[in-house]
Amino acid sequence: MGPSGHGNAIDRFSAAVGKAAAWLTLFMVVFTFVIVILRYVFDLGFIWLQESIIWMHAAVFMMGAAYTLQQEEHVRVDVFYRNMSARRRAWVDLAGVLFFLLPLCVFLAWNSVDFVLQSWRIGEGSREPGGLPYPLLPLLKTIILLMPVTVALQGLSLFLRSLAVVRRR
Amino acid sequence: MEWVAALLFVTVVLVLLAGFPVAFTLGGTALIFAGIGILGGTFNEALLLGLPNRVFGIMSNETLVAVPLFVFMGVTLERARIAEELLETLSALFGAVRGGLGVSVTLVGMLLAASTGIVGATVVTMGLLSLPTMLKRGYSPEIATGTICASGTLGQIIPPSIILVMLGDVMTTAYQQAQLEMGTFSPKTVSVGDLFAGALLPGLLLVLLYVAYILAVALFRPQLMPAHEQAAGERVSIVRVLRALAPPLVLILAVLGSILAGLATPTEAAGVGGMGALLLALLRRALNLARLRDIMRSTLRISSMVFLILIGASIFSLVFRGYGGDDGVRAVLEALPGGVLGAVVVVMLVMFLLGFVLDFIEITFVVVPIVGPVLLAMGLDPVWLGIMIALNLQTSFLTPPFGFALFYLRGVAPPAVTTAHIYRGAIPFVVIQLFALLLIAAFPDLVTWLPQKIYGS
Repeated sequence: MGPSGHGNAIDRFSAAVGKAAAWLTLFMVVFTFVIVILRYVFDLGFIWLQESIIWMHAAVFMMGAAYTLQQEEHVRVDVFYRNMSARRRAWVDLAGVLFFLLPLCVFLAWNSVDFVLQSWRIGEGSREPGGLPYPLLPLLKTIILLMPVTVALQGLSLFLRSLAVVRRR
Repeated sequence: MEWVAALLFVTVVLVLLAGFPVAFTLGGTALIFAGIGILGGTFNEALLLGLPNRVFGIMSNETLVAVPLFVFMGVTLERARIAEELLETLSALFGAVRGGLGVSVTLVGMLLAASTGIVGATVVTMGLLSLPTMLKRGYSPEIATGTICASGTLGQIIPPSIILVMLGDVMTTAYQQAQLEMGTFSPKTVSVGDLFAGALLPGLLLVLLYVAYILAVALFRPQLMPAHEQAAGERVSIVRVLRALAPPLVLILAVLGSILAGLATPTEAAGVGGMGALLLALLRRALNLARLRDIMRSTLRISSMVFLILIGASIFSLVFRGYGGDDGVRAVLEALPGGVLGAVVVVMLVMFLLGFVLDFIEITFVVVPIVGPVLLAMGLDPVWLGIMIALNLQTSFLTPPFGFALFYLRGVAPPAVTTAHIYRGAIPFVVIQLFALLLIAAFPDLVTWLPQKIYGS
């Protein structure tokens, strides 16, 4: 069973989020190009435009993490994994999700709640004058909460899939 | 509690071998160690509370924005089949000369260097593109596979590689930290641009040595790489050569040149490079919506892979430091016989061995932040150290029996090519690498001359 076959609801959700976020990579390229033209041709610079690229970049890798997991593209040290049977690989994934991925996600999510709420509470804006306006920074910080939640969900999908492999006779 | 830090490091390396994705294994193992320490009262839990802030720091790191932009450029060039056409044209051009195909592969590897920088990707691309042709033309499997593996790893050392962007970012922090500890009041800085400039001459030196080796084999062992008899229809016109060669060459030179000339930051140059690659693909009618989607999604997945490792590695560093691991490493390195030299040799050896199991990204984000500040505080030049690390790891990836590049090529090589062929083919290139490494160790000017010339200081 390939990672993209027989997609369950979680897989479809992760893929949809990732594919939507992927458009930001194009915008990053275009915006950077525009910034360069504005600066070197028209001698103009906008802080918010600069900042928008950094934030798009952050959104890309944070919101794409679950999709990347679903597509099996989070790199593994595969010296041994490569030659394992499907069943043994499934055991590795079961244990990995249970002991590493889920605790990590739960810890990060749980820990970042205050961090995110605080930002919303004080109505945090950009530190730079002329930077991106108010709701954007708290929105961005909210991603720190969304990443572990989406990755944990996708981890659950991996867990269930691996469980099915292990149980198969 | 330094032994706990050492235990953490060893445990992480061992657990990584099981094969669960690196990003989560790094962070997860560190978290378990921290948890046990908190329960036992040996780890200060307040350290972990800063985690969201650290993640946010990674999200707002301006230097690393260049990574996805360079990846975008590279993926676009690859999907528009620009590399493929380049190789076809160059091999048609040089094919009639003995060893010409081998030289073409090396040159394409050098040009492709700009684009990928992920070890596996370049070797796989080069393997698929050129191995069948080389074998068909009677190249010995050893020569063919050795050339491909070595050329494939050039992508790490030749700028603008994303590996150097990451290494540059880590080195910047390490250098600041080292100078702070030395009590320097007006700290100097090191940038990604410095690393690009420093890598240029060593990278070209490697290409030169590879080419010299291939031509030497062609001269003295001609049966290993026969010349290709060209049919009349196969001759390439100068127009075709220019059309295949000029656009990617101009693009890469413009990107690199504008950074080295100090006209643009790496991020700006990468953005313009990405735009240029898109235009190039459009001009070749190699771009449609489906392919654009494919490019964007690939870029996203590679970015996410890289930056999740960075997040995992930063959790690891946090816990490693929390157990006093950095003090332990410093104590060990400073106690080594031979002073700075001894420390460098040991660090290089350890990295070389780690290169058998860990990829460049992990070593950059996990190991360099630990050893970098200590070595730099001993007075080493940060650009020189960065390039030595890059060259050393590149050698490690080529070294049998564990080198990454060899495994990746094995994956795409036809069954007629045995693993023994690949191992034997890599050995001469490993010797070349070691020679270059020694040369740069003996003459640091090879690295530091250009950055000083360009950026002063």
